[in-house]
Amino acid sequence: MRKMTVVLTLISWIVLVVYLTPFIWMIGTSFKPIGEWGEPQLLPQNPTLRNYEELTTGGIYGVRGHFPPITRYLINSIITSAVVALLTTLFGSMTAYAIQRYRVGGSTFASWILSLRMIPPVAILLPLVLMTKTLGIYNTLTGLIFVYPVIALPITTWFMIGSFKSIPRETDEAALIDGCTELQAFYRIVLPQSITGLATAATFAFLFSWSEFLIPLLLAPSESTMPLTVFAAYFSNQYGILWGPLSSAAVVIAIPVIVIAIIIQKYIVRGLTLGFVR
Amino acid sequence: MKIKATTWLVIPTLVMLLALVLYPTVYLWYMVFYSYHPARDPYPIFVGLKNLGTLVSDSEASYAILTMLALVGITIPAQLALGSLLAILFTAKNTRGKLGLKVLLLIPMMIPAVIIGLNWKMIFFSKGPLNAFLSLLGVSPQPWLSEPFGNPYLALFSIAFLDIWQWTPFITIAVISGIESAPKEVYEAASLDGASEIQILRHVVLPMIKGIIVIILLLRIIDSLKIFDIIYMLTFGGPGIVTTTFPFQIYKTGFTLTSAHPDIGYASLLSLILLAISTCIAMIIMKLFHIEKLIWE
Repeated sequence: MRKMTVVLTLISWIVLVVYLTPFIWMIGTSFKPIGEWGEPQLLPQNPTLRNYEELTTGGIYGVRGHFPPITRYLINSIITSAVVALLTTLFGSMTAYAIQRYRVGGSTFASWILSLRMIPPVAILLPLVLMTKTLGIYNTLTGLIFVYPVIALPITTWFMIGSFKSIPRETDEAALIDGCTELQAFYRIVLPQSITGLATAATFAFLFSWSEFLIPLLLAPSESTMPLTVFAAYFSNQYGILWGPLSSAAVVIAIPVIVIAIIIQKYIVRGLTLGFVR
Repeated sequence: MKIKATTWLVIPTLVMLLALVLYPTVYLWYMVFYSYHPARDPYPIFVGLKNLGTLVSDSEASYAILTMLALVGITIPAQLALGSLLAILFTAKNTRGKLGLKVLLLIPMMIPAVIIGLNWKMIFFSKGPLNAFLSLLGVSPQPWLSEPFGNPYLALFSIAFLDIWQWTPFITIAVISGIESAPKEVYEAASLDGASEIQILRHVVLPMIKGIIVIILLLRIIDSLKIFDIIYMLTFGGPGIVTTTFPFQIYKTGFTLTSAHPDIGYASLLSLILLAISTCIAMIIMKLFHIEKLIWE
């Protein structure tokens, strides 16, 4: 039995490491000096922080001269994702409460919101580009914050429906009997009890906004408004030979996601399967 | 008429989603009857059903649909097989460090797809680490993204391979949570009755997670309709149109205006087709899985 344990554990972990090799290689490359960039070694022989330094100062490698520092894009991404997370968690939880407790809109409204989660964004982006141009928010962070909810709002709403469902009805019914209105029962009793759910929903909204690429590619293509994801693509098109800084940029974009994913790992399946799998 | 207090709660969401989804859909229906190429026309020109005629004769668009179906047909069965295998390995009674395995396995599917694309663009590069590694094994270097004159279908294969890599963990994690959510007693009872591990898997576990597998498959199909970032990063639909899937064809037709029939009106028609496909699958999901029960019971 003990032998079996050693064998299975060893196999599992070897499989996992092999599986993650591409990613490990990229982290390694982000610490490699210029001469080692294309090498297949996973880890650098002469590790350096230069790639990361150049990301923050702007680069000097390459024939095309300087690449811009990453700071501005980082700020763009953080602002957009944070505002979208707050906004969609607020609106999503309000909607979820009305749906879960009071069946507002019935199952039609609920299924409509769920179906929006499944829409391929590219299909509705033509009108949305025109719309943001008309509203004068094309190529602004406001424009991104305006459009991202099309992805984030169905997610937070669905997640919060699940959270409210797990809070017994008796809790807010008791509050109603004590003379609270429905809204008071919501924000005094039910919301404080779903802090974990709210935080997780906000985290999901943040993650999806952080990772979004197609929407900002079309709505905020200029250098002053693009978020990190679009910057990464732009970087790889313009300075594609600079594997070191490119890898370090990729690591900078990926690390927050990995940290967050580890924190909310318990809820990820539920979040990604729309609550169908727990 | 007095609106109930609880109804007010849904107003912000309703307004936002109407503006962001319903309005665009209506606009697409309107634009379907127009032809508009920003560099050619000063304003959209009414053309009636001409876009429909274009669609019928547009071999590029039908090719893009076929590519999308081919990708779904290759990647999803592979993901299901590989993902279940990993799930069985990672949940076996004697495997240690289960939580660590599960959490680290989330990495490929949680990282932004653009970053995955960036990562693999370097991996697949003709003078990149994959070929360097293969040459150690005596395999000659391959033009994984078909650059510059390789077999064009190798690029499609590489995209499929990457999608399998990225999303197999999704199946694994979902199957694991299915296995773990089943009560322990069931397994114990079965093994007390003398069932082997394989028999338990086949006759106890599989029936219990069948529902999960179906929903996961449907969600994977839905997500496959969205594959964009990776193609943008790795091949930009090329070489030629070999890796141009349907969403990317819409992008080329309506945004970069680089397809065979670049036209915003025509792109609207393609967008509506994509919307129709995804709506159909969404409806199947909701019919099969009784969302009423999911919300209220």
